[in-house]
Amino acid sequence: MNLNVDGENIYGADIPWLYALRKKARDAFVKNGLPTAKTEAWKYSYLPSGILDEFTIAAEPHHCDGHCHEKESLPFDCRQIKFCNGSLEHIAHDLPRGVMIMPLIEAVENAEIKPYLNKSFAVGEFPFADLNTALAEQGLFIVIGKETELQEPIYIHYHQHEGAPKLNNIRNVIVLEKGAKATIIEDFDAKEDAHYFNNIVNEIYVGTDAFLQHYTRQNEAAEARHVALNSVAVKAGGQYRDFVVHNECLYARSESYVCLKQENASAEINGAYRLQNSGHSDITSNIRHLAPHTFSDQLVKGVLDGKAHGVFQGQIHIAPNAQQTEGRQLHRALVLSDGAEVDCKPELEIFADDVKCSHGSTCGDLDAEQLFYMQSRGIALDDARQILIAAYLNEVFGKIEDVAVAEWLKSIF
Amino acid sequence: MTQKLLEIKDLYAGVAESGKEIIKGLNLTINAGETHAVMGPNGAGKSTLSYVLTGKPDYVVTGGSMRFAEHDLTALKPEERAALGIFLSMQAPVEIPGVTTQNFLKHAINAQRKYNNLPELDAAEFLKLLRSAAKNFDISSEMLKREINVGFSGGEKKRLEILQLSLLQPKLAILDEADSGLDIDALKIVSQGVNQWHTKENSLLIITHHLDLLRQIKPDFVHIYADGKIIKTGDMALAEELETSGYKNYLDAAK
Repeated sequence: MNLNVDGENIYGADIPWLYALRKKARDAFVKNGLPTAKTEAWKYSYLPSGILDEFTIAAEPHHCDGHCHEKESLPFDCRQIKFCNGSLEHIAHDLPRGVMIMPLIEAVENAEIKPYLNKSFAVGEFPFADLNTALAEQGLFIVIGKETELQEPIYIHYHQHEGAPKLNNIRNVIVLEKGAKATIIEDFDAKEDAHYFNNIVNEIYVGTDAFLQHYTRQNEAAEARHVALNSVAVKAGGQYRDFVVHNECLYARSESYVCLKQENASAEINGAYRLQNSGHSDITSNIRHLAPHTFSDQLVKGVLDGKAHGVFQGQIHIAPNAQQTEGRQLHRALVLSDGAEVDCKPELEIFADDVKCSHGSTCGDLDAEQLFYMQSRGIALDDARQILIAAYLNEVFGKIEDVAVAEWLKSIF
Repeated sequence: MTQKLLEIKDLYAGVAESGKEIIKGLNLTINAGETHAVMGPNGAGKSTLSYVLTGKPDYVVTGGSMRFAEHDLTALKPEERAALGIFLSMQAPVEIPGVTTQNFLKHAINAQRKYNNLPELDAAEFLKLLRSAAKNFDISSEMLKREINVGFSGGEKKRLEILQLSLLQPKLAILDEADSGLDIDALKIVSQGVNQWHTKENSLLIITHHLDLLRQIKPDFVHIYADGKIIKTGDMALAEELETSGYKNYLDAAK
């Protein structure tokens, strides 16, 4: 793969600050390489070393007869944005006062994005994010202005149709200013036989007393690879609420890196995954309590069958000054076959003494007593199993207040 | 002419995993309309009998036969036995977090209707049926919206079991310790529910070691069950006698 960021025709080469950032990220990626089995944060989810050689980053013309611009029919009102084969094809217009959405490429031109781009994490920390920083030309810069409440969710649809195997590096920067309130829904899907690699980085800045509800529905094609990082910085009294759903694909990893930077910042990171064949799903989070009176809560539930591999890594870090904080974390997996495997790594890193923290991880099969009780009432074994699986996942989907969105997220299972 | 509903002949059964034999040569015939009570000391395997009849996978039949309304029970899955009309009110009804009572009941009724080639009930038909039945058992609509058996008191659980009996209309109801954990009022609701359901066509097998429920439901036959088989059969007088003198005489005689 060509990782060249130099040269006249290369995007960003004429913007010195951007050029410097991209070059730094490129150098870090070249130096560190892809994570391996020895990279602690990736030991359950490393990819083969030559993986990127399968893919091209060149944009190519696509022929979808204008389908790119057709609105999705969805069970909730929203403002729709669409990426097709990794390129931004449709952006929301007629936005309410105080809301700005622009393509990344425009946002770098006038440097409005400069105070945010690659400022929520450091170069060298996340290998795929470095790759993204070095190469991303596509993405969005979204700003919800001070005290602005956006009623309709922003719906970002990433669709892949057939074409040469493609690596999509998409970079979104989402800023909620003081007291702003918004909902962002990301939806990934593809034509059935599409072969591609999505490498998505969202940098999310939740301002003082702002509130962001973030949903991600990963419904990629069976042969897809999907690596996403949500790097989130939350200021005083700000709330970040995230829910990620993984359907089965070849490889998916969703990582949340959340810094609760000031007092009363909070994060709720929930998720669910359902794997039936031989897919790989990784949900990783690192929640960093950096100030007193910060709060985080996490529940992730998975159901695995066949030869699927699930990974949950959850780290809660509590800084020395972060007294009277509360961090809760729970991962539960239902393992329905002997061939399926779950790796869990919960980690607490506590440097303050007046805190409440809990974490746990459980794995189990369906309850035989519950199955028999249902059968003894006439419910066929297979149906009883499906009812219990749905019930198992309902615990986590029940945390979503918007019932229409919850049903929509669940519908891919 | 009396019609045989359940016929158990020389039945042997035990725990599937350990192979431990629990039922050892049991014979019992229940005709349509009859009420039978099985009494016996703790640990005699009374509950095992109810599980073997309903097909719980933890138990395996090693000998003899069980026939129910012309069907060989051993060849049928638990859900098939249920749809053919065998109902088990469990000693400890199972809690199922995430499944509301109402939804559970709808699944159960429609699964049985489907098996018996009857049209499934739609939401409105089901709710109408459920509401009128729930009233009889002092079960509120709030309780029906709760997860089934989760956080229910002992009495609530048993009342819900009898509500299921009345909704599913089985041919044979097995009540395993249906009276345990019930106060006098709840016992009355349960026994009235059972008596309402009970007709000349359907039968009851009551497993208990208390007389309270039997006094309300009045069995035609009382069996003493020990060491995996029936060692004595009588009527209600036998149950009354057991209350005063215990099982000891019969257990000694059986040795």
